[in-house]
Amino acid sequence: MSLVADLISILLNGLQQGAIYILLAVGLSIILGTLEFVNFAHGALYIIGAYVGLYVAQGLVVSEGYLAEAGFSDLGLGMGFIVGMIVVALVVFVLGLLFERFIARAFYDRPDTDQILVTFGLAIIVQEILRVSLGSTSQPVNQPTWASGSVPIPGVAISEWRIYIILITALLVGIVYALVEYTDFGLVVRAGTMDDEMVRLLGIKLSRPYIIVFGIGAALAGVAGLVAGPLSPINPTAGTDILVPAFVTVVIGGVGSIRGAVAAGTILGITQAALIQTQIGTYNLAPWSQVGIYAIAAIILLVRPEGLLGEEVDTA
Amino acid sequence: MSEDHQLRSDGGTAPATGEDATSANGTEKATSRVPGLGGDEGRIIGLTALAVLLFPFLFAEAPVISDIIQGYAGLTTLILIWGIFAMGYDLLHGFTGLLSFGHAAFWGAGGIAAGLLVEYAGMNLPLVLVVVGTVVGVLLAWLIGFLSLRRGGIYFAILTLAFGQMIYFTIFGPLGPITGGEDGLLLTIGDLFGVIPLNAGVPVLTPLGFIPSWLYLIVGIFVVISVAVAYRVLNSPYGLIFKAIRENEQRAEFVGLNVWRYKLMAFILSGAFAGFAGALHTIYNGAASASAFYWIVSGDVVIMSILGGVGTLFGAFLGAGVYLYMSNILETFVGTLWHVMLGLLFVIVVWLFPGGIWGGIRALRDLLTDLIGGGGSEPEAATDGGEPGARAPADAGSDGGENR
Repeated sequence: MSLVADLISILLNGLQQGAIYILLAVGLSIILGTLEFVNFAHGALYIIGAYVGLYVAQGLVVSEGYLAEAGFSDLGLGMGFIVGMIVVALVVFVLGLLFERFIARAFYDRPDTDQILVTFGLAIIVQEILRVSLGSTSQPVNQPTWASGSVPIPGVAISEWRIYIILITALLVGIVYALVEYTDFGLVVRAGTMDDEMVRLLGIKLSRPYIIVFGIGAALAGVAGLVAGPLSPINPTAGTDILVPAFVTVVIGGVGSIRGAVAAGTILGITQAALIQTQIGTYNLAPWSQVGIYAIAAIILLVRPEGLLGEEVDTA
Repeated sequence: MSEDHQLRSDGGTAPATGEDATSANGTEKATSRVPGLGGDEGRIIGLTALAVLLFPFLFAEAPVISDIIQGYAGLTTLILIWGIFAMGYDLLHGFTGLLSFGHAAFWGAGGIAAGLLVEYAGMNLPLVLVVVGTVVGVLLAWLIGFLSLRRGGIYFAILTLAFGQMIYFTIFGPLGPITGGEDGLLLTIGDLFGVIPLNAGVPVLTPLGFIPSWLYLIVGIFVVISVAVAYRVLNSPYGLIFKAIRENEQRAEFVGLNVWRYKLMAFILSGAFAGFAGALHTIYNGAASASAFYWIVSGDVVIMSILGGVGTLFGAFLGAGVYLYMSNILETFVGTLWHVMLGLLFVIVVWLFPGGIWGGIRALRDLLTDLIGGGGSEPEAATDGGEPGARAPADAGSDGGENR
C-alpha cells in the first residue's frame, strides 16, 4: 500500500518537475534545431515570465531595491493565474519576437560561441536589473485557490497544483507539437531546418516562420516561470539555476526533437523525484537528487552522443 | 602501443604544421616564434615581472592615479589570482577555440582540495596547498575533458556546463557535511615555509609602496612563472597545433594530427591553471566553499577573459582587473548596479569589440606607430604571444593584428 502510494507520488512529483524542464527544453530545442541559435538567455525569459506573471496574477512584494526606495511596496493586479498565464504567454511571446529581430538575427552568421556569449551577457543584465529594481529576496507565491487542495489519493500528499502543471504542460507542448508536425507553418519550419537554402529557392520567406518559432519558444519559457512559481522560489537568480537542467534536457533528448525533449524531461524529473524520496537505511538520498540528473545525462550521452531521439551527430 | 605511435608521429610532424598554419595567415615571422630563441621569452618574463612589481604601486600608492581610481592594495593580489585563472582559460578558449562553461569546477576543486587539506590533515603550508590544487585541477579536467570532448561546438559548452554543475551539486549536497556546504570551511593558513606570515609586509619594498605583502610577492612570482609556462607552451610546436585546431580543425585532422588528443591536453592545461589559481584563492581568502563551483563562476572567468581580449594571454589580467575593479570599487559607489554595468560592458565587447581591451590597446598602438611612420611595431608584435582578435573560424580569413 505504502509502496504504491510512494510510487504514485514519485511519478506525479517527477512528472511535474519534468514538466518544467520540458516547457523550457521544448522552446530551447526548437530554437536550436531550426534557427541554430544557442540561447543562454532562455533562463532570463523564464524569470521575466515569473515576475510578469506574478505581477498580473497576484502581486509582488517589494521590500528592497530601487522600486522600494521610490516608495512602492506592493505592486500587482491580482487577476488570478489563468489571466496571468495568458498575459505572460503574450508578453514573453512579443519579447521573443523582439529578441529575435534585434539581437539573435545579428548573430546568425557569427560563430555559435558568440551567440552563447552575447546571450549569457544579456541573461546577466536581466537578472541584475531585476535585482536592483526588486531586490534579491524570493517572492512569496500562493497556489491558486482552485488548485490548493491535495490529490484525492489516500496516502499521497501532493497538491493539486502539481497535477495542473502536468496538464498545462501537456496541453501547451501538444499544441506546439501539432503546429510543427501537422500545419503548413510547421512544414515550412521543418523544411527550413533540413535545407534552408532550398526552401528559399522555392520562394518561401523563412524569416517570418523563424521569428514565430522564437516567439513560441520564449512564450513557453515565460509560462514555465509562472506555473513553477508556487513550487520553486521566484528570485532574480532562478533563471540561471534552471538554465542548466533545461539545456541538459535538450541535449539528452536530441536537439530539435520535441518528443525527445518530453522523454528526456520525464526521465530527469522522475530521477530527481525518486532520489528525493528514497532512503537507504537511515541515509536519505535527497542531497543526491541534483547530482542524479546529471549522472543520468552523462550515461545517456556516453551511450548515445546524439541524444535519445536526435538524428545527426554534429562533431564539428 | 598504437597510441604511442600516434604520439611520436604527431611530434614529428608538428613543427612543419605549425609553420604551415602560421604562414597560412600571411605572417612572415613564423621562424621567430619557434621556441629556443630566448630573446623574446626573456623580455616577456622581464616585462611581466616589472608589471607585477609596479602594479600595486600604481594601483594603490601612486600620488595622482590611485587617488582617481580609488584602488587599495588588498585587491591587487586578488586581481593577479583571478588573472592566472583567466589566462589559463584563455589558453583553451583563445588559442584552441573551445568555449568551456565548466571551469568553475577546476577552480573550485583546487580551492576545496586545499581547504580540506588544511581542515582535516592539518597541512597548511601554502606551497604544498598550491601543488595539491594544481594536481586536483589536472585530474578533474582530465575526467571532464574526456567526457565533454565527445562533441564539439555548442555541445562542448553545454556538456562542460552540465558536468561542472554535477560536481557543484556533489560538493554542495552529498559532500556538504565534509565541505561545509553553503558556509564552507574557515581556515587558518600557515606561514610561508613555516616561518614567514603571508600577510606581513616585505622588508624595504612594502614601506616604499611596491609589494603590499609576502602573499602578493608569492602570487606575483607565480604570475611570472605562469606567464612563462603559458608563453613557452604556446610558442612550442605543441602550442602551434592548438592554434591550428582553432583556425581549421578539419585541416589539422587531415594533416594527420590527433585533434582530440590535443584538445584534451589544452583542456587539462587550462584546468591545471584553474586548480592552481583556485588553491591560491583559498589561501588568499582563508576560506573555501562549494559556491566557487557554481556555473556562474565559470561565467565570470569567461567574462574576464573576453573583456581582456580573447587569445591575447596578457589581456586576461586586464579583464580580471576590470571585473574585480567593478565588483569591489565601483560597487561602493553604485551598489549592485555595477553588475548591470558589467553585463552591458560584456555584451558591448562581445558584439562590437571582439579584440577586447588588449586588442584595443594594440589597435591604438598600431595606429600611433602608423602615424609616426611605422616600422617599430614589428618586433613588439612578435612578443605578444598570440594572434589578437582570435574569434575562432569567423576571423580565420582576416586574422592578424600583426598584419594591421
